[in-house]
Amino acid sequence: MTGLGSTLRLFARAFAYVAPAKEAFAIKAALMLTASLPMLLLPWPVKLIVDHVIEGIPLGQQPLPHPAFIDALFAPFAGSPGELLFACIAFQVALAVLIGAVGMSATERGSADSQLAGGFDRASRTENEANEGTSFASGLLGLADALFTLRLTQRLNHHYRSAVFARLQRLPLRAFDDESVGDALFRTLYDTPALTQAVYRIALSPLTSGIFGVCVVLAMNVSFGAHPLLWQLGAGLLAIAFCSSLPFAAAMRRRAERARSSGATATATLEEGLHNVLAVQALGAGAKERDRYDRASWDAFASYRRELALGMGAFVAALVPSAALVAVAFFYVGGLVIDGALSRGDFVLLLGYFGLLAFACIDVGGLWLRLQDAASGLERVFALMDLPGEGDGPRGTSVARLQSEIAFEAVAVSLPNGARLLEDVSLTLRPGRVTALIGPAGAGKTTLAYLLPRFLTPSAGRVTWDGADLSGLDLDALRQQIAFVFQETQLFDATVAENLRLAKPSATDAELWRALGLAAADDFVRELPQQLATPLGRAGGALSVGQRQRLSIARALVRDASLLILDEPSSALDPETEQRLVATLREVSKTRAVLVIAHRLSTIRDADEVCVLEGNTIVERGTHADLMASANSAYRRMSSRLGRE
Amino acid sequence: MPAAAEPAAPHAEPAPAGAAHELGPRDLARLARRCLSLLAPVRRHLVALGAGFGGLALLFFPIGAFLFDLVWTRALEGAPLSPRAADWLGLPVEALPSPEQRRTILMRAVMIGAAIAVVVTPLVLAIYYYQVWILQRVNQLLRVRLVERLQQLSLRFHASQRIGDSLYRALQDSAMATQLVELLVMIPAAGVARLLFAVAISALFSWQLAAMLLVLAPAMLWLGVRFAPRLRVRFRTAREAQSALTSRVQETLGGIRVLKAYGAEAFELARFEQASLAAFGAAYAARSLFVRFAVAVFWASAFALIAAGAWLALRTARSAPIPGLDAIGLGSLGLGVFTLATYNYAKLRFGDGASSLRQLLRTLGRAQDVAIGLDRVFELLDVEPEVQDAPNARAFEILREGIRFEHVRFAYSADRPVLSDVSFEARAGSVLAVVGATGAGKSTLMSLVLRLADPQAGRITVDGVDLRSLGLASWRGATSIALQENLLFKATIAENIRYAAPAASDDAVREAARIACADEFIGRLPAGYDTMLGERGAKLSTGQRQRISLARALAKQPQLLILDEPTASLDGDTERRVLANLRSWAQGRLVFLVTHRLATVRHATQILVLADGRIADEGTHDELALRAGLYARLLAHDASDVRAAEGGHP
Repeated sequence: MTGLGSTLRLFARAFAYVAPAKEAFAIKAALMLTASLPMLLLPWPVKLIVDHVIEGIPLGQQPLPHPAFIDALFAPFAGSPGELLFACIAFQVALAVLIGAVGMSATERGSADSQLAGGFDRASRTENEANEGTSFASGLLGLADALFTLRLTQRLNHHYRSAVFARLQRLPLRAFDDESVGDALFRTLYDTPALTQAVYRIALSPLTSGIFGVCVVLAMNVSFGAHPLLWQLGAGLLAIAFCSSLPFAAAMRRRAERARSSGATATATLEEGLHNVLAVQALGAGAKERDRYDRASWDAFASYRRELALGMGAFVAALVPSAALVAVAFFYVGGLVIDGALSRGDFVLLLGYFGLLAFACIDVGGLWLRLQDAASGLERVFALMDLPGEGDGPRGTSVARLQSEIAFEAVAVSLPNGARLLEDVSLTLRPGRVTALIGPAGAGKTTLAYLLPRFLTPSAGRVTWDGADLSGLDLDALRQQIAFVFQETQLFDATVAENLRLAKPSATDAELWRALGLAAADDFVRELPQQLATPLGRAGGALSVGQRQRLSIARALVRDASLLILDEPSSALDPETEQRLVATLREVSKTRAVLVIAHRLSTIRDADEVCVLEGNTIVERGTHADLMASANSAYRRMSSRLGRE
Repeated sequence: MPAAAEPAAPHAEPAPAGAAHELGPRDLARLARRCLSLLAPVRRHLVALGAGFGGLALLFFPIGAFLFDLVWTRALEGAPLSPRAADWLGLPVEALPSPEQRRTILMRAVMIGAAIAVVVTPLVLAIYYYQVWILQRVNQLLRVRLVERLQQLSLRFHASQRIGDSLYRALQDSAMATQLVELLVMIPAAGVARLLFAVAISALFSWQLAAMLLVLAPAMLWLGVRFAPRLRVRFRTAREAQSALTSRVQETLGGIRVLKAYGAEAFELARFEQASLAAFGAAYAARSLFVRFAVAVFWASAFALIAAGAWLALRTARSAPIPGLDAIGLGSLGLGVFTLATYNYAKLRFGDGASSLRQLLRTLGRAQDVAIGLDRVFELLDVEPEVQDAPNARAFEILREGIRFEHVRFAYSADRPVLSDVSFEARAGSVLAVVGATGAGKSTLMSLVLRLADPQAGRITVDGVDLRSLGLASWRGATSIALQENLLFKATIAENIRYAAPAASDDAVREAARIACADEFIGRLPAGYDTMLGERGAKLSTGQRQRISLARALAKQPQLLILDEPTASLDGDTERRVLANLRSWAQGRLVFLVTHRLATVRHATQILVLADGRIADEGTHDELALRAGLYARLLAHDASDVRAAEGGHP
């Protein structure tokens, strides 16, 4: 996707995103121009000092007449060279205080930026991009510009990364099967600044640098009106700079994409290794993990270097024609000075203007390269934004507390790749009843449960909530009615109370304790140093699996949901704790529909209905007693195996 | 998670929380010393780099002065060429140079200047590229060292450390190492060299000029000293806020299922926005101060430059002599007096000195951020791995007798022991089952066997030798574990199984999968063993992942195998088959079986019953079943399952 059309579309989109801040950008542009235009006067005091202080030419007798405003400005000080020198110094000091930019070379700007040190790969360079824009000047105006830019850039980037983050959360669960956490992290934090950078690089910087460059050329025309070749050469330089990086643009796009993707890979490798640190250590694979990261990280560095080299190539390519033009200009003006048509101060003036022009040229010169780099970042951000999210469509009807039943009507689920996860399943869940699912691994138990909060949608048949098709219901309202306990517990680095309140932010402490009691988790929470306020550390790392499982169950019970789903709730519980859990299920099922997936008989024996799944469909159903009664049932087969061990 | 069996107080181990916000001069010196040690591997490259830059500067000083003289004095003012210059340019010496000769001189000078620009610029860029390469090398080294350290730290550390924070330290903070090299070594070295060079050149022109630079230096340094401490405090806050934001994102994405299930997206988004705003707010505080500092520095140097320019203008107006240049022989080229050429050149060199000072000071400001970043890196590097090789550790070779626990005590935090006074013996060739209630300390016991942590009291011996005196790598090489939680990597199934045994043949991989009863479902996958798993193996069911994780432990052919609830996620049928396979595989090895499903442990050689971190009972199934202890109670409960299976009621 490196065609011009698609690139333009990317930028059009980026602009649409920043449109709400267009006034701020207009102010920013105005600030930049205000700060840059006085720079056009900078070469003048130097010229005056050379011609009228050092060389002692009386003001007004130099070969080339000054523009009227210069004469008007300095005529009062024409009395003696000393007076004029004093006036020039005062003028320089005033400019320095106001806009800075005294005695700087084109490569080392004195602009008031807050560019901090970055590293030499994508990830570590983007912190500047997330905070900074481009500014020209230093001094008071530069300071105002820099502070304004800082605020503006940060505000916008905050807005974008929040949008990307919100979108990430809205992606269907299956998207996370393929997308690595590290990659998503890279996109959220390190790719989003491409949006503001795109605006600065496409609109602001070329605009202001371009305007500034044109102003320099105009100023040359005003100062050397009798010698139009000079401003023409200046215009030529600006044109060369503008076009110079264009031939490198396509290659830059590829390299920039590569730099970003290899940066994301390095991040993902690191994240995965840290997440799996237990497995790594327990299996003695520390060195292997280190080597894996070593490769990924060096790859990220190398791809950044390739990006850098291309930029250098573009710079050198522009250098030869530019040097030729500058040489012609100098030779031409030198000739005029030798002929007496210009003074040596004019030569200084010209030097000053070419210096300013170099300023603009360098900024304009990298335009296409920076554009491609921003485009590659934009592409990654937009690719994420464009993934279909949950609840994208019109808002569905709201969901009330379950009155009569949830019904699966001949439901089938298949994946885009053709794999069938579930076939022809019909099932009814009712408040006050416990329904249990049992079956071998891979039979579709979890798939069936995932249909309820719409983590998955049926490819045939439908699921209804009090008669209304789930697909027409408001997703958030639906999930508000469901509490889900996952097979693998997931706790967050927050306090016990915060983890529990995820299910119901308004829950009182008393409600939390009640839920903990029901989940047989009150004992150990009471023994924690700060009880409910104890931070759990990373992913509840300081707790055992069984304790985490009980906290997850407690979390589900905090929410007074219509439907409680438990996926293998007892796999990490010892028998005594499990017994308490069974009693709890009985208790809470009085006001809720309960769906429990299990393979331990003690958990499901008391269920009102047991469904046996095999080969992706329900093969038997009934109470425990019914199923055991039928001589040749799959249930009996499974149970007796369990029992005989 | 093998380690965590008890609600340990978080931050039991010294996780690198925010250390002192203030870095004193001594800390800075210490940081600099450590960074210099990072440079050792690239020492030669750095010398080459310095030689490259220095060589260019020395070469081009006289050439620059000469070109300035040609353009200004000879071409523009029409002074006659010195005999040497005329000789070099191949031009006759004319007492009153004709406009033609002046044009020729101008032409030559401009051509030489343009040619130099065209040749030297790529050279400078190439040297810069070289510099980037060197700095990346240093950064890479530090990153890898960090990752290595993170992987070495004990479970007690990881229980309280946030992944996002480690990520940020490894990715962002470590980048500061290169910067430190650049900011603390290269730029200062180059800057000071440029400054001294400029002072020396200025002194050649006039001592007053040199004095101005020498006065400017402490004035600007004073500015730096005033700003630095405040900058450091704000930079640290900014980095911590950014690190917290990284953690926020990483954790949200890791726990996305729960968030979705509870519709807590809005809540998490609000938390993200809060963290993001905090990060930007802190960045603003730091950066806006830095901008003010930069502007102040700029003013100081600009005023000095204006003053120097004015002073030079006065000297030139009087055509004052320049004894310094005369003294080094440049007088013969006509550079012995203040002319427009020497005026401009002196201004240029003074400006260079002032700008190098300005750059040094900006660098000082940035270095505050770098120091903070590095301090965070070193905080992490300095966390000593709790578990490490003893000085004279010897390699473990083969398990002959067995493992013995002698009065072992362990706690994550001092006040809450997880294991107390645990003693038992496990003989090679046996299957030792550890049963007990949730939180009894079973998993912790196993992490001690693997030496993921060391006991606080008592000792563990292997064939009579203290485990702590064995080489860690050799011990971990001989042991393996199938974890209760199945952590797989984003790689193919075969690569995951081979994870701990890279050299395992395809047959060995298949054999391991067969024992774990994973070969059947792998065979049904379209790509078989080459099926790519998503990060964390998300595409498979929990039971399938558990079997792959088991195969991974088996592929290593360990002498000691720990199975931590190896069948918790398996259905009854699969569990039975896996256990049968394991029994025949386990011949001649030592197997620890951690479980609370008694059906699984019936055939163990020996059973340990753990309660509240102590061994409550010990014996074979038959022995224990006869005693009226905890085991019998657990058994009675399990038996109700059996009766239920037979159709009765408990």
